[in-house]
Amino acid sequence: MLQHRLGALAFSLVSVATFLLCSCARSRSANDSSPGSEPFFTPAHPTVANAVKEFLGWRATPIQPIAFPHNKHIANGIACMVCHTGVSKGPVAGIPSDKLCMRCHEFLASDRAEVKKVAGYFNSGLDVPWQRVYGFSPSAHVKFNHAPHIRAGVDCSRCHGDVTNMTVAVRAVQINMGFCLGCHRAQQASTDCVTCHF
Amino acid sequence: MSHCWGMAVDLDRCTGCGACVIACQAENNVPTVGEEAAQKSRTMHWIRIERYYEGEFPNPRVRFRPVLCQQCDNAPCEPVCPTYASYHTSEGLNGQVYNRCIGTRYCANACPYTVRTFNFFNPVWDKPLHLQLNPEVSVRQIGVMEKCTFCIQRIKASEIQAKAENRALREGEPVPACVQSCPPKALVFGDLNDPDSEVSRLARSPRGAKLLSELGTQPKITYLQRDSWDGPNS
Amino acid sequence: MERRDFLKFGVLTGATATLTACEKPVQQLVRFVPEEDFVPGVATWKPSLCTLCPAGCGVTVRIMDGEAEVVRNGQRGILKMGLAKKLEGNARHPVNRGKLCARGQAGLQVTYHPDRVSGPLKRSSSRGSGDFQEIGWPEALSEVVTKLAELRSQQQADSIRFVTGEMRGHRRELINQFLASLGAPAAVQFAPLDEPVLRRANVLAFGRAAMPSFDLERANYVISFGADFLGTWNSPVAQSIGYGEMRRGRPGNRGKFVQVEQRMSQTGANADEWVPSSPGSEGLLALGLAHVIVKEGLRSNPTEINSSREVEEKLKDETYSPTQIATRTGISANRIERLAREMAAHPPSIAVIGGTPLAQTNGLFNALAVNLLNMVLGSIGSPGGMFFAPGASTVKEASSANQSVDFVAQVLSGGLENAEVLFLDNTNPVFAMPPSWQVSQKMKRTPFIVSFGRFMDETSVLADLILPDHSPLESWLDDVPESGTSEAVFTLAAPAMRPLHNTRAMPDVLLEIAHSLGGSVSEALPWKTFEEMLQASYRELARAERCHPTDGFEKFWGRMLEQGGWWDGQCQIHSPESPALEFQAPEFVPPRFDGSEQEFPFYFQPYVAEAFLDGSLAHLPWMQELPDALSTVMWGSWLELNPKTAEKLQIQQGDLIQVRSRHGSLETPAVLNPAIAFDVVAMPMGQGHAQFGRYAAQRGANPMSVVAPLQVEQVGSLAWAATRVSLSRTGRKGRLSLASGALYEQEKELELR
Repeated sequence: MLQHRLGALAFSLVSVATFLLCSCARSRSANDSSPGSEPFFTPAHPTVANAVKEFLGWRATPIQPIAFPHNKHIANGIACMVCHTGVSKGPVAGIPSDKLCMRCHEFLASDRAEVKKVAGYFNSGLDVPWQRVYGFSPSAHVKFNHAPHIRAGVDCSRCHGDVTNMTVAVRAVQINMGFCLGCHRAQQASTDCVTCHF
Repeated sequence: MSHCWGMAVDLDRCTGCGACVIACQAENNVPTVGEEAAQKSRTMHWIRIERYYEGEFPNPRVRFRPVLCQQCDNAPCEPVCPTYASYHTSEGLNGQVYNRCIGTRYCANACPYTVRTFNFFNPVWDKPLHLQLNPEVSVRQIGVMEKCTFCIQRIKASEIQAKAENRALREGEPVPACVQSCPPKALVFGDLNDPDSEVSRLARSPRGAKLLSELGTQPKITYLQRDSWDGPNS
Repeated sequence: MERRDFLKFGVLTGATATLTACEKPVQQLVRFVPEEDFVPGVATWKPSLCTLCPAGCGVTVRIMDGEAEVVRNGQRGILKMGLAKKLEGNARHPVNRGKLCARGQAGLQVTYHPDRVSGPLKRSSSRGSGDFQEIGWPEALSEVVTKLAELRSQQQADSIRFVTGEMRGHRRELINQFLASLGAPAAVQFAPLDEPVLRRANVLAFGRAAMPSFDLERANYVISFGADFLGTWNSPVAQSIGYGEMRRGRPGNRGKFVQVEQRMSQTGANADEWVPSSPGSEGLLALGLAHVIVKEGLRSNPTEINSSREVEEKLKDETYSPTQIATRTGISANRIERLAREMAAHPPSIAVIGGTPLAQTNGLFNALAVNLLNMVLGSIGSPGGMFFAPGASTVKEASSANQSVDFVAQVLSGGLENAEVLFLDNTNPVFAMPPSWQVSQKMKRTPFIVSFGRFMDETSVLADLILPDHSPLESWLDDVPESGTSEAVFTLAAPAMRPLHNTRAMPDVLLEIAHSLGGSVSEALPWKTFEEMLQASYRELARAERCHPTDGFEKFWGRMLEQGGWWDGQCQIHSPESPALEFQAPEFVPPRFDGSEQEFPFYFQPYVAEAFLDGSLAHLPWMQELPDALSTVMWGSWLELNPKTAEKLQIQQGDLIQVRSRHGSLETPAVLNPAIAFDVVAMPMGQGHAQFGRYAAQRGANPMSVVAPLQVEQVGSLAWAATRVSLSRTGRKGRLSLASGALYEQEKELELR
C-alpha cells in the first residue's frame, strides 16, 4: 500500500517536473508567426490532467445547447438518415443545420421552449452549436468513414447504442481501437494501420 | 489484384515551378512554420524541389529535382522505429502511424532522402486560416514525425468508391495532389503491378533511374533523366 | 461574333434584357448548388476563376461543409456552410486544362486570411496614420453618395478618378458604365505585370494590343528573350503544359529551348542553351538572328507582309551582321550564326519576349525586333507558332492599349492631386512605383479616397473610406482570357461559398451607389445586382449563332455555371486579323541607364518573384514559405550576385549588403548565384511591404526603393530594369532562410543504372 502511494507520488513529481521543464523550454514569443506557444505535457497531451483523463477513458459529458429528444423523433417514425444525411454517402454522418429543423418546426410544436431556442438560432442567421458526443481524440489520428460500414450492414446501434431510448445522445458504447479491431477481425476487414490512421 | 503504387518523375518536363509543393501543403494540412523556424530548416513540406547548379557563368546549368518520400521497398526508416510507427503497409507504402510515433526521430536519421519532417511545434493556423484544413487528413501535433503518404486519403477514398460501385480501380484513379497539379505533367502516378499503366511504362524507360540506387533501398519512384538537344530527332 | 462586339452589344442592350429577365425571375431558378444540398463530409466541386494574375485560369473549388465562426446581425456564433478547402485547375477550361500553379492554389488563403478587412472602415485620424474606425454599410455608402451628388451638382464629375488593377470582363465594364453615367473619365488601370510595351509593339506590328499566345506543343525551337514564361509571365500554366509536350509529348522529337537573359530565371533554368547577352541588347540580337536568316535565304515559311521586300533589304544591312553586333550584344558572331541557322532549320520556331528586356528604356525596340524575328521565322499564326487568342480583343484592348501608361502619365501630370474623389480597386501603386514619383505624397492631397481593398496595403491605408470587397471565391466573376488558348473563352463563376465577413461585392456596391444617386445614373445601370447584369449580358451571347442553345437561356446559363464558362471547341488557331500592316524594320536604339558606370558599377535587375508576383501575393503564408526556385529563399528578400563578383567585393552568402542608386538605397542579404552576369545584380519584387497583413509587413526590402524613374521610350511606362547601383558591405549578417545551402550537388545522387 505504502509502496503504491510512493510510486504514485514519484510519478506525479516527475510529471510536474517534466511539465514545467517542457513548458519553459518551448514557450515562444506570441508575436512570432511561427507556431507553438501553449505549454504541453507530452506531445499528445497539453496537461497532466488531460493525459490522465484520456488514459482512463474519461470524457466530459457534453452539455447540448438544446435538449434534443432523439426518442420522440424516432418514435414519430423519423429514421436516423433523415437528419444524419451523410451517413450512407460519405465519411461523416453529419448533424443537420437548423434550417432542416425548421422545415418541420416552423409549424410543428413551435410553442415549445426548446423549439423556440432552435427558432432563435435560425432567426439570428446562426446555427445551433451542438457538442460532439462521439468522435476520437485528435491524438488518435483516426479517420473513420461511415458509408462503407453502413454498406457492410453494420447497424447504427452497434457503435451508438440504442438511441431510440435516448433524449440527448450519450456515449453508450466505449469505442476504442480494440472495439474497432474486434469487428474488423470478425468480418475479415482490413486491419492494416493505414486503413484508419492517416 | 493488390496494388503497388508508384510514381515517375520526368525531369525533362519538370520546370521547378513549385505547384506540387503548394498542392501537397493544401491537401495534407502541412503547416507553415514561420521565418524563425524556417531558418533552422524546420519547414514541413512533404515535397521539395532541389535545385543544383552546374558549371559557372557564362555556361551555367540548373537541374531541378522534386524529392518526396520514395516509398522504398527496402526502407531504412522502418526497421529503426522502436514503436512500429513506421511500417510497411499491405500495399507496400511506407506508412507512418502518427499515434504510435513518440518522436525519437530515428527514422529521419535513417532516411537517406531526408524527406521526413518533424513537428517541433504544435502547428498553428491563425483564425480563420484553419478553415482551409482538409477534414480528410489528420492534423499532426508536436513531437510527431510525418512525411508524404502518396495521398493515402485519396487512395482510400478511391478504393472505397470503387468497392461501393463494385468495380476495380481505373487507370488515373487515384491521383495524389502533387500529380494532379503539375502543369507540364512531370509527375505520373499509378499502379506498378499493372504492366500497362503509364507509370509502369515510364518506369521501364531507358532514361529511368532511382535516387541513390546504390543504397539498395528500392524506391518506388523512378526519375527520368533530363535529355539534351543535339540536333533534330534527338 | 467577336468578344468585343458581344461585350458592347450585351452592355448596350442590357436594359432591354433586364426587362425581359424581370418578367421571369430566372436568377432565382438557377441558383447553382444550393447550400443545403451539401452532404456532410463529401466534397462538392464548384467552378471558379483565378484572379491572382492576368492569365485567367479556370479553377474548381473543393467545397465541404464546415462550421465557420461568423458575426450575423451583431451576434457572434457558428454557421454551417460550404467552405472552400482546395483549389485545383478546371479540367475542362481551355487555358489551364486542369492544372494550376502554386500561386493560384494559394488563392485559398486570400479568403481565409486573418488580416482581411472584415467590414467598412472610416479614417479616424490623419491620413496615412492607419487609424480607422468601423462603420456600418449604410453610413459608408451614404458618405460616398453625398460626395458624388455634390460633385455632380457642381458640374465637377470630371474630377472623379477610378484606378483599377488588371481587370477584364464585366467588372471593368460596370466600372466604366458607372463612370460614364456620372460624366467622369474612364477608369485607368495600374497593373505592374501588364506589358504595355509589348502591347504597343503588337499594335505597331499586328494592329493588336493583346498579349500573344504560343503553340508550344507543336514548336520545335523556342527562343525566349527574358520572358519567364514557365514561371510568372503571360499565361504560365498554359505555357508550361505546352512546354511539357514540346519536350516529351512527341516521341522522337524533342524541341530545343534557348533563353536569352542576364540572370537565370526559373524558365531559363530549363533551357538547353542559355545566352547571357548584355542588358538591353536583346532586340539587337533578335535582328542579328533575323539578318542571318534573311541573308542566307533560310526562310522556310515566311509570313507575308506588305513591306517585306523593304524590311528584308533593311535587315540585310551590315549594321545587323553578327560581327557588327557581337561586341554590343556580348555574344560571339559564330554563336549568333549557329543559333540563326538552327532555328531556321528546325521549324516551327517561336521567339518570345517579356520581362526585363521590355523594362529597358529601349523596350519598344526590343519588342519590335522580336516581332520581326517571328515574321522572318514565319511563326505568325501558323501551327507551332505565335498567335492571338481568337477575339482576344477584350474590352481593355478596345478601350485603350496602354492603361498602365495612362496611370503613369496621370501621376506625373498631377492627375492625382487634381482629383476630388479617387476610387481604388485592386491596385497598389504606392508599393509598385518608385518613391521618386511620390505617389503617396500626391494621394495625400486628394480630398476623398475610397478603396475597395480586401487588405490594408500601402495604398488602402491612405483612403478615407474602405469598402472591403468579397474575396474572389465569394463573388460573381467573369473573364475573357487574353492569351493561352486557341479557343474563344468566356469564364463565368458563381460564388463558390458564402461570405465570411461583413464585406460586399464591389460591383454590387457600385450598383447600389448608382441607384441611390438616382436619375440618369440609376437608369444607366438598371440591374439590381452584378449577377443580373451578367445574366443580361450573357443572354446576348446565348443568342449568338455559335452557341446553338436550342434549349433556352436558362439551360444555357446553367451549363455555363456548371462547367465554369463557355468555350468554342471548334474554333482553332486564328492568325492575327491584320498581320499585313506596314511594318518597318525597327531602328536600333541603345538602352539608357541611370547612374554612371564608375560610381554605380552594377546593372540592377528587379524581377517578378515566383511566389509574390509584383508583391500582391506577399501576404499569403504559403507563398512566403515556398522556397524560391533558384535561390531557395523563404520569408525574405535577397540580392543575387555572381560568386566571382562577391569574392572581389569580399561578400559572402548572407552578408547584409547596402544597395545604392542615385535615387535611394536599401539593405538586403546577399545570395550567390553562379548563373548571373558579373556586372548584374538581381532582386525579387514583392517584399518590403510597410503594411499588408502580418505575414508580409516589415519583411525584406522593396527593390522599387532604388529604381530610377526612367520611362520606356515612346511608351511611357516605368523602365524598371534601367538602374545602375553600387554595393557595399554593412558588416552585418542579414536574415536569410534558405531551403538549401548548397549551390552544387556534392555527389551525384541520381545516375543512370
